[in-house]
Amino acid sequence: MTDSRTSSHPAPTEEEQAARPVGTYPPTQELLDAPDDPQARAEREAQLREAWKTPRGWRYLSAVNNSEVGTWYALSAFGFMLCAGVLALLIRVQLAVPDNDFLSADRFNQFFTMHGSAMMFLFAVPMFEAISILLLPAFLGARDMPFPRLSAYGYWCFLIGGCFVLGSVLFNVAPKSGWFMYPPLATEQEGIGPDIWLLGLSFIEIASIAAAVELIVGVIKCRPPGMRINIMPLYAWYVLVVGVMILFAFPPLIAGDFLFELQRSLDWPFFDPDRGGDPMLWQHLFWIFGHPEVYIVFLPSIAIAAMVVPTASQRPIVGYSWIVLSAVGVGFLSFGLWVHHMFTTGLPSLSLGFFSAASQAVVIPTGVQIFAFVATLMVGRVKMIQPMLWIAGALAIFTMGGLTGVMLAIAPFDWQVHDTYFIVAHLHYTLFGGLVFPLLGGVYYFYPFFTKRMMSDRLGRISFWTTFIGFNVCFLPMHLTGLLGMPRRVASYSSEMGWNWLNLLSSVGGFIVAAGILIFAWDLVRPKRDQPLAPRNPWKGGTLEWSHDVPAEAWGSRSVPYVSSRYPLWEDDKFLERLDEGRFYIPDAPEGKRETLVTSSVDAEPQGALPITGPAWCTIWAAAFTGGAFILPVFKLYWLALLSGAGAVACVVYWLWTATAQVPKAPDRDVGLGLRLPVYVTGFRAPGWWAMFITMLGDATAYASIVFGVFFFWTARPDFPPEGAAHADATLIALSALGFVLAWGATITAREVNRRDRRRAARALIGAGVLCTLGAAGAMGLALWLPGMAPSSHAYPAIMYALGVWVGAHSGAGVVMLLYCLAGSWAGKLTPRYDADLVNTTLFWHFLCLMGLVTALMMGVFPRLAS
Amino acid sequence: MKDQKPPYRHRSLWHMVLAPTVWAFHFVFCYAVMSVACIKLGAPDIARLGVAALTVIALGIIGFLGWRAWVQWDFRPGDNYKHDRPTEAQRREFLGHGGFLLSIVSAVGVIFDALPIFIIESCI
Repeated sequence: MTDSRTSSHPAPTEEEQAARPVGTYPPTQELLDAPDDPQARAEREAQLREAWKTPRGWRYLSAVNNSEVGTWYALSAFGFMLCAGVLALLIRVQLAVPDNDFLSADRFNQFFTMHGSAMMFLFAVPMFEAISILLLPAFLGARDMPFPRLSAYGYWCFLIGGCFVLGSVLFNVAPKSGWFMYPPLATEQEGIGPDIWLLGLSFIEIASIAAAVELIVGVIKCRPPGMRINIMPLYAWYVLVVGVMILFAFPPLIAGDFLFELQRSLDWPFFDPDRGGDPMLWQHLFWIFGHPEVYIVFLPSIAIAAMVVPTASQRPIVGYSWIVLSAVGVGFLSFGLWVHHMFTTGLPSLSLGFFSAASQAVVIPTGVQIFAFVATLMVGRVKMIQPMLWIAGALAIFTMGGLTGVMLAIAPFDWQVHDTYFIVAHLHYTLFGGLVFPLLGGVYYFYPFFTKRMMSDRLGRISFWTTFIGFNVCFLPMHLTGLLGMPRRVASYSSEMGWNWLNLLSSVGGFIVAAGILIFAWDLVRPKRDQPLAPRNPWKGGTLEWSHDVPAEAWGSRSVPYVSSRYPLWEDDKFLERLDEGRFYIPDAPEGKRETLVTSSVDAEPQGALPITGPAWCTIWAAAFTGGAFILPVFKLYWLALLSGAGAVACVVYWLWTATAQVPKAPDRDVGLGLRLPVYVTGFRAPGWWAMFITMLGDATAYASIVFGVFFFWTARPDFPPEGAAHADATLIALSALGFVLAWGATITAREVNRRDRRRAARALIGAGVLCTLGAAGAMGLALWLPGMAPSSHAYPAIMYALGVWVGAHSGAGVVMLLYCLAGSWAGKLTPRYDADLVNTTLFWHFLCLMGLVTALMMGVFPRLAS
Repeated sequence: MKDQKPPYRHRSLWHMVLAPTVWAFHFVFCYAVMSVACIKLGAPDIARLGVAALTVIALGIIGFLGWRAWVQWDFRPGDNYKHDRPTEAQRREFLGHGGFLLSIVSAVGVIFDALPIFIIESCI
């Protein structure tokens, strides 16, 4: 695109002009080489520094910049990891000798449950998000993530939820039925343990989805101009794939949590076979999440390897397309494996064969990336920099875990070792090799980027060898312990079983690992003030993150570069000079606002220079109230929880109203290099639109999981729906469907009418939409209530009610959004020209209307056909 | 030819992941067919025939997508196939290359998923 829009096309109208880039793109060589005035440069630099200033003192906590939030996030996740590690050590002490009574069986159960849950939900996934929030903008030469306040909100949610869940261990009320919480054990457990797990972790999962949305939008909308999809750093590819995986993997678990908690608090029998439920439904929903989860934690760490390997080899990665294939292929195939966690549950052997084959197919793309790394190392001139040591250790350990994985994918072998220590050994090999080692290597590698100082090379090597040796001493013998028949999750064993020395060995190994991790932790946090600043590019990498400022600057990137290769620092010798002198895009902040460039999703052509949000307290308040809404129900304080939920909505509305989609003073601005870009965009050009679209994809997945539950009951249970059961009232269901369609139509028409400058008509339509929604949701409620369907009597009415609750809650959200638009239209925040809020609400409504219609079919039509 | 606007798929990530999407649908439908035929009807032959039919359809679609991606990749021996230049042509070829490789993996996945029907004759 050499911008011909200005010359050869008919002159655009004023409105179009404001919405489109005007000027030269891509920049010509003369523009790139044009010298600038040093004084003007200093002024621009001062503006930018002022706009991006990190708050000081106690206000520091209100910071939302990715470097601050990312650091807090990473340190918190690491802290939780150390706590979960201590639990593991206590478990190993208990198992070191036979017939030990160091821990009671009950406490032992709490500890292994919390060890697994915390490592998965409080360390593995959040750590990916933390590191990505820290690194992604740097890889993309961006100023920040597209929604800084959303990152902050996600972080505070994570911190509150994490402390709540992990804290339960101190009060002897922790969940104790294993990290996958199988019913009926978990549904029947007395006390609040399972509620803490369900509500606390749902809360954190929602924060994870928020981070995933942000990371996906960051990759597709905030790449620097010129960075087409084929030259994007591999790390961004992995972030994109993992983000999308989170979007499809977490919602089934959230849906499962939703049903599970309904059973625990309202006695709706989804998992109770006596009343038409089925505990297997939980297993399916859990593992549809649980298996992709393994790859969700593995791929980001491999992404770190994909950045370290080219630097260590001092050459571009071999087989870029192949690695992309591998990441995307794993992303898909990993969703087809979940039943291999359920091989012993008595499914038809045909299904077992099917999942067994799928489990082996995923090895192909997984292997491809490992071979690409090995190939890069072979053709490069490898310098064994210290992070590379961790990566090499990771490859070795992960390969071993992968091999036992192929063994376990074979159903008959799995039957032999099911629930033994062989499984424990296998999963720790994959997780240590696939997550912990590359992550620690990554921390060593990126530490100079994070803090502008180096970690100690010597301590790093000691830590590596201690951890590596300790790990193998601990987990290699476990394969044998498992083959000798020791079941996992037993609190003690008799000395006659012959597992004594193997267990003792594992316990010793466990403490050696802990020593290695502690050395790392010390190296991480030891004071380094006296140490000299690190060189700007200590490992001689070629990607954008090594253009960071030493000493640190809060603006992320002095100017947003025009990128034309995969390794700009290696291939373009004038790149750094131009970047530092602010001779690329948006080198200034004339209105004192924080801004980011928005580019097109595939070719990264500039589309806008949008303001982004700055420091705020409302995110912390929103997180605290959201926490209340999730935590208070554990103690049966439902009204307070509801109140707290309303508080959270109020905080979020305040945050959106005061800081997002503001009507700009001028429609566009000069971004440098002869280009003018709009400062307000709507529709699929806007990050906000993408965020809504992506969120709703995840939301629709959760909804689909509940619908899956209906079909699951129908195939698995002979009495679904039970004979002579009352069905939802057909007339009211039809009315409800009609109501959703009308509300949807009103919203779309309101958007169109508003664009044609008929604001009154638009407002009337929005009002009508609100009324139709309330009517539709009300009709659906009555349709269930009038025929006397009792949700606690049987799984059939229960799941119908669950669908109703889901749609009802979403109708509430739909009404709030419509009212927000109505208020915006009155207040002049939403105008015919600046209508992003209404456009995004319409997008939400497409999904809500679909949900309403599908629910009507599931309630009104399906049961009548099935019975 | 020059005046023609290149088709949308040359710059579409969605098209690149069509083949694995076909794999996903094949997977879901096979799972559904097996569950309904085995558990509801107790008829393993219907399950096996159903999966066979789904597999033929899926492989047909993936074959077509793979061929189209191959054409888009436009690979000739001796070409630079790193696709690392910032041009429209290289981006098109990269997406074609990715789509082509993904259709191979998807085809392997579909075939793997269908293998049990040759070996297992019962629903037990």
